[in-house]
Amino acid sequence: MQKILNLACGSFYALGAYFGVSAVRWALGAGVPAPLFVAVLVGSGLALSVIGPLIERILRTIYGRDESLQLLLTFALVLMFEDVIRFFWGTAPQQLGGVYLVYGQVHLGSLTIPVYNLIVILAGGAVAALMGWVLARTRFGRIVRATAENREMSEALGVDIARVYARVFTLGTALGTVGGALVIPATAAMTGMGIELIVEAFAVVVIGGLGSMRGAFVGALIVGVLEAVAIATYPELEMLAVYAIVIAVLVLRPAGLLGKATA
Amino acid sequence: MALLEAHAIRKLHGSVIALDGVSLAIREGEFVSVIGPNGAGKTTLVNVLTGLVPPTSGTVKFKGRDIAGIGPVRLARLGMARSFQLVNVFAGLTVAETLAVPVLSRLGRGGRVLAALARDAEVHAEVAEVAALFGLTDALGRPARTLPHGDRKLLDVASAVALHPEIILLDEPTSGVGTRDKTAIMEVLVGAARRIGIKAIIQVEHDMDIVFGYSGRIIALHEGRVLADSTPDGILADAQVVAAVVGKRVSDAHR
Amino acid sequence: MIGRAALVLALAGAALVPVAVRDYYATLMLPFFGYGIALLGLNLLFGYAGLLSFGHALFVAVGAYTAATLSSGFGLLHFELILLASALVALLAAIPVGLLCVRYVRIYFGMLTLAFGMLFYSFLYKFYNLTGGDEGIRMLRPKLLGAAFGNLDKVGFLTGPYYYYSLALLVVATAVMWRIVRSPFGLCLRAIRENPEKAECVGVSVRRYRLYAFLIAAVFGAVGGTLLAVPTGLADPLLAYWTHSGNLVFMLLLGGFANFFGPILGAFVFIFLQDQVMSLTQYWRFVFGAILALLVIFFPRGLMGFVGGRVGTGA
Repeated sequence: MQKILNLACGSFYALGAYFGVSAVRWALGAGVPAPLFVAVLVGSGLALSVIGPLIERILRTIYGRDESLQLLLTFALVLMFEDVIRFFWGTAPQQLGGVYLVYGQVHLGSLTIPVYNLIVILAGGAVAALMGWVLARTRFGRIVRATAENREMSEALGVDIARVYARVFTLGTALGTVGGALVIPATAAMTGMGIELIVEAFAVVVIGGLGSMRGAFVGALIVGVLEAVAIATYPELEMLAVYAIVIAVLVLRPAGLLGKATA
Repeated sequence: MALLEAHAIRKLHGSVIALDGVSLAIREGEFVSVIGPNGAGKTTLVNVLTGLVPPTSGTVKFKGRDIAGIGPVRLARLGMARSFQLVNVFAGLTVAETLAVPVLSRLGRGGRVLAALARDAEVHAEVAEVAALFGLTDALGRPARTLPHGDRKLLDVASAVALHPEIILLDEPTSGVGTRDKTAIMEVLVGAARRIGIKAIIQVEHDMDIVFGYSGRIIALHEGRVLADSTPDGILADAQVVAAVVGKRVSDAHR
Repeated sequence: MIGRAALVLALAGAALVPVAVRDYYATLMLPFFGYGIALLGLNLLFGYAGLLSFGHALFVAVGAYTAATLSSGFGLLHFELILLASALVALLAAIPVGLLCVRYVRIYFGMLTLAFGMLFYSFLYKFYNLTGGDEGIRMLRPKLLGAAFGNLDKVGFLTGPYYYYSLALLVVATAVMWRIVRSPFGLCLRAIRENPEKAECVGVSVRRYRLYAFLIAAVFGAVGGTLLAVPTGLADPLLAYWTHSGNLVFMLLLGGFANFFGPILGAFVFIFLQDQVMSLTQYWRFVFGAILALLVIFFPRGLMGFVGGRVGTGA
């Protein structure tokens, strides 16, 4: 929405993941009952999002400039975050073990799915719906959309662009950190996960379309399903398939499946 | 045979009718001005005539060839060039470089990857010639962005002329320029066109003094349709056109 | 002109390095030569044509892998032939990729090139049987101008014949790029960068010229990549990873794009800075990230911007 391609959001995701792991470990060690670990994850994610405004300040210095410069700056942040993570958590993967199984499992036919995974899926859907509602119905949402469409006009109408951008950015950061935290129980926090994510996120945004929340949702679904299918059938094709789709989309419908066609 | 002809051009932008059945034919030796109030469709007409925008229906032919939507590159090669309403320059290039680009394109040398441009005498000679015609010789080494507005307009037109086109379309060549400079620009333009051998000039203009001072033929556009298409005297005699487009004071001054 | 004196001095300095300085630094110069050539290509694309590619590493990798495959897979050791083959393969690969990508500009171009780079990376990584997966393909010592230098050990070879060969190659590549930039084609590229619509109106086919620039950049990238493979003796998938493309852009920015000698300076500074910082701390990425951030915010014209704005610009 802000027309910034923020490569560092992958880093937020990673930070959220690592921080979440530490937070849960600490919480469990402190005697917090296991089923509440989700709350801890979410909480730690939200707490971490305070770095959002800070980063946004940094990015603010180059808002008006060439997009390539913006890309480079966020790339610089990616590099820095990689080492920040390395500094605090080292290079070995961090896991939470089987804590998430505390919610039990569900049997669907021949599949066994941990309830936690279902929770995450539901949460994803809920957040998406919430974002959609916020954007469509609330005053804040309208301001964000107006600013995205026409910045000068919004400014002329009295919108405090700086604050809007700061808020949107923080929101984005929060989503990243919380998302990262929530994903931990199912996988592990590893080096390079931020970078991997940005690649996937890039695919998602391109497929779904820049500037469209619904598009991001659809894109995420497509990418996720595609990856899962690919892993199950031809493991070599996993990433290849995703990139092939990205290229196909960029060629056939540069605006993405649901995006707005601005270059 | 007409150099450029348009037949029953209709252009719709969504549901807005920009051009509604415009037909015209431009012959060699003509200097045609297209006039009309804002929103009459003048710029759309120029875009269609220059193959930039394909018409929704109707045909545009240049030297007998269909040029609907063929794009500026191929059009330039066929022999038609245009200048722009809003000044369009290569900001970071010098005047000499700006003029060299169309010359290279015309000579077919733009693709030479390893040749040394500095040593191409023919290109330099051509650039010097065009610059001289437009009074830009002193500015040859200056970056285009440092030129005053009037000179930039001249440069824009000069780039089009440097293509040695058979027809040149000018979209408001004197807009944003003071009255004294306007005449100067027009004189330079006409002189250059004659020297280079341009066969026809079409311009979109708002300044009626310029229009009546230089055109041999005037096409008045109104709400996407041709209201009148005749000589200056014929236009002045048409009360409808005078009321809608020309304006009474100007027409009085030209009686 | 940058001053013939400065150039000659730099050249002389470079020629003396293997003799005057420790072997370690001499071997450090080798990737600099490779990156220098690759960056000359990227600079044509970005500094002169205005297209920022985030997938240039793709062609660097193509060059390295072609060289490695030819040497260890087919036993072809004549470096001249290897270089030629790398250039050709890159050209062939660049044609479809370029045709697709130059239809788009700015961020879409960047994204598309990034996607292609990553596509190649995944291919390299996953198709183990063809590409050796994450182990890569070995690059054997090539024959320079037919000579095998069998009497020299690895370091001797690298700091001796190979060093001068690479230096010569860099000089040749620079001369060629200089010619290209000052050609009619170079001017048309700059015109396209300044104002693509106007360029079209004066008869310059924007898409075609951008494609040419892309192809040339690809060839330079591959030649650079080939040079990179020899010192390490390996072609590995990470050469194509997007962060490698990012580093290339970093070097370009560091030296200053839109300036002819910027990329070479950038490559040089990057390599040596990386070496120094890496020896000081394991968190060199952080330092580099900070440097890049500062560059972007305060010195987007790069180091050449310091030395003198007009030095070596295309104008």
